[in-house]
Amino acid sequence: MIRLENVTKIYGTETVAVREASFDIPKGQFVFLVGPSGSGKSTLLRLINRQEQPERGDVWVAGRNINEMPASRVPFLRRSMGNVFQDYKLLLNKTVFENVAFALEVIGKPRHAIARQVPIVLELVGLADKQDRFPNQLSGGEQQRVSIARAFVNRPLIMLADEPTGNLDPTTSEGIMVLLDEINQTGTTVVMATHDHRVVNAMRRRVIQLDRGVIVRDQERGVYE
Amino acid sequence: MFSRIAYAFRETWESFRRNLTLTAAAVLTSAVSLLLVGSTFLIQRAFENLLVQWRGDVEMIVFVRSDASAEQITLIDSVLRASPTIIDVEKLRYLNKTESYEEAKRIFAGDPVTLGLLTPETIPTQFKVVPLSDDPNLVRSLSDQYRTLPGVEAVALAEDEFEVISTLSNFIRVVTLVTSLVLLLVAVGLIWNTIRTAMFARRREIEVMKLVGATNWFIRVPFMLEGLLQGLIGGVVSCGGLWVLNSAWTSGVTSFKPGTGISSLIVPDSYLTSVMLILLAIGAVVGAVGSAIAATRFLDV
Repeated sequence: MIRLENVTKIYGTETVAVREASFDIPKGQFVFLVGPSGSGKSTLLRLINRQEQPERGDVWVAGRNINEMPASRVPFLRRSMGNVFQDYKLLLNKTVFENVAFALEVIGKPRHAIARQVPIVLELVGLADKQDRFPNQLSGGEQQRVSIARAFVNRPLIMLADEPTGNLDPTTSEGIMVLLDEINQTGTTVVMATHDHRVVNAMRRRVIQLDRGVIVRDQERGVYE
Repeated sequence: MFSRIAYAFRETWESFRRNLTLTAAAVLTSAVSLLLVGSTFLIQRAFENLLVQWRGDVEMIVFVRSDASAEQITLIDSVLRASPTIIDVEKLRYLNKTESYEEAKRIFAGDPVTLGLLTPETIPTQFKVVPLSDDPNLVRSLSDQYRTLPGVEAVALAEDEFEVISTLSNFIRVVTLVTSLVLLLVAVGLIWNTIRTAMFARRREIEVMKLVGATNWFIRVPFMLEGLLQGLIGGVVSCGGLWVLNSAWTSGVTSFKPGTGISSLIVPDSYLTSVMLILLAIGAVVGAVGSAIAATRFLDV
């Protein structure tokens, strides 16, 4: 589903964020990208959704080399991916329902489809009763659930999560991980960048470890170390 | 499709309300610059009217000394009539002392000092001559010939005044055009800035839109519409201003004594309408260009 071949990303002239990274993530896998801050985890995610382009190497998603894709096709690539962030990136002037609906609205989904799909996904993340609340009226964990609902509402092939539990306490984090696991069970490939030991050790999934932009470990059913 | 259009308009309206001050500044600047552009057109047209009338009317005046004898005047008249191929004999007109004085009173209405020097007795009488030829050299040599006739005080060629008016109107045109172009650039800049601010205020929304796969056009269109609307509103305001100006001008000119030639300064309504349409078009283009530049530059966040 996702394949990187000798990918190098350099910011500016000499800041090497990712060096010669290669890996292959099959469909339906759950992968942790681990490593300290600045080790290149986020850059890898940004390379996969083409927010960044590598200086060298190729990124393949669903059988297509996304670096050779014309810019006009990128929006359609992104419709096959859901993005979740540490800071949720919710729109504060919109309700829970509107935040999720927004993701469908801007890709031109008809109104009746939106009215059908949004309640289903809100039910899935356990926020059906809070759909008219505004983000500020929710706890951190609930806000992250909204952002997961927004990422998942279009049933993407891939879910990219950048430190989704970074702002949450252990109990809440656990709930978020259960949710991501459920999403993974539906066949969605999940790639999650984190430096949360507890989460990684509890899940026992594939772990790709980065250190200063270099992949130093790639292990099936790994722990954080 | 319908929901997309509805979306674009809703977003445009929201953004419009949010940045009311900046929007007002952008609209006013474009209105003022467009008003100047429009005024340039009208002034130009008025001058052209005036020039055309003068051209077609009198191009040469043969002034006859006030003490000239009746024989001298007859001689001059016959000499003038002797070249019917060069001057329009039909339109040849002689103004005697009273008529000349009447005309002087009109011409020097705003200049009592000059008028004070003239009396119905001392004023030169005049032949109004309309040359048929368009060749200025021929007309000039003709005037040199008339100048030597007995009793002739001077020969004035309208060509000279014509040149003065022409130069003046060109000068005014250049000044107003340059000013309005500069103001138009300022308007583009202000619209650009308004759109940039609007986009900055909504950068989070734009980021989310890009991440969930909205196309650039989908994101860009509401902003471009907003700029277009600002330019168009500026155009409408300038049209209103131009209409008021023109009405004031027209009523001012009409209140002048009829037949003075000043009435040719009135611009026909059809011309005013087409100038207004041009202003609306320029406004729309200016708004669209300003916002398109901004939207394209700030979309790659």
